[in-house]
Amino acid sequence: MWDSESSAGRRLPSEAERHVARMSRFPKSVYRHGTEPDVRFSLANERTFLAWIRTGLALIAGGVALELLGVDLQSSFRLAAALVLIVAGILTPAFGWIGWMRSERAMRLQEPLPGSPLGPVVAAAVSLAGILVLLGVLLR
Amino acid sequence: MTSKLFDPGLQPERTELAWRRTALAIAVGSLVAMRLLPGVFQDPLWVIPGVVGLVLSSGLWVGARGRYAAYNRALEAGDLASIPDGRLIAVVAVAATATGVLGLVVAVVATA
Repeated sequence: MWDSESSAGRRLPSEAERHVARMSRFPKSVYRHGTEPDVRFSLANERTFLAWIRTGLALIAGGVALELLGVDLQSSFRLAAALVLIVAGILTPAFGWIGWMRSERAMRLQEPLPGSPLGPVVAAAVSLAGILVLLGVLLR
Repeated sequence: MTSKLFDPGLQPERTELAWRRTALAIAVGSLVAMRLLPGVFQDPLWVIPGVVGLVLSSGLWVGARGRYAAYNRALEAGDLASIPDGRLIAVVAVAATATGVLGLVVAVVATA
């Protein structure tokens, strides 16, 4: 069967091939459930995940820079602030991945979208790091 | 390559741009790491994390390109089951977490 709409004249996959494609998609914990959601929602889910990745990388970069660039702060508060930022930066990609999987699965099952602990975690970590840096300035 | 516009909201295009931003962020971070780490540890071998990051960044750029093309192919054929899956997403999550662990080690060792 040939697709007359397709400019490249590409053959449409058979039902069996579609089944194989569905079964080989990773992770199975997502794709073995439900039916295909509106692609635009999957794409939005993907962009949300990538935004969390960039947030995590920024947290890591900030924490490492604070320690490496020799900022003039009381040294144990500086290290504590750096560690808070870096640990938040490690948690963010992990939770981002879990959140991507849970959202994708919920969309496939037409269930309500799950919440994410990431917002509060990042907010708490950045606030705490800010307080530690402030103390580091005051006590140097 | 694309004969029809799938979505007037340009979702596939915006998603590819989000991948590019992520790849560029990794490239910039890797270049800074290449500049700083060998000096901090007095050892030229510390350019390696930055080099690995740059390789990963270019891989992501190419991967995002392929992903965008695959999205368009699947949408054009109306074959939603062959839409790209979570592989590249998992790679990015693992790489970002590993970057964080390396950052933790660097911060602690640099202090000691």
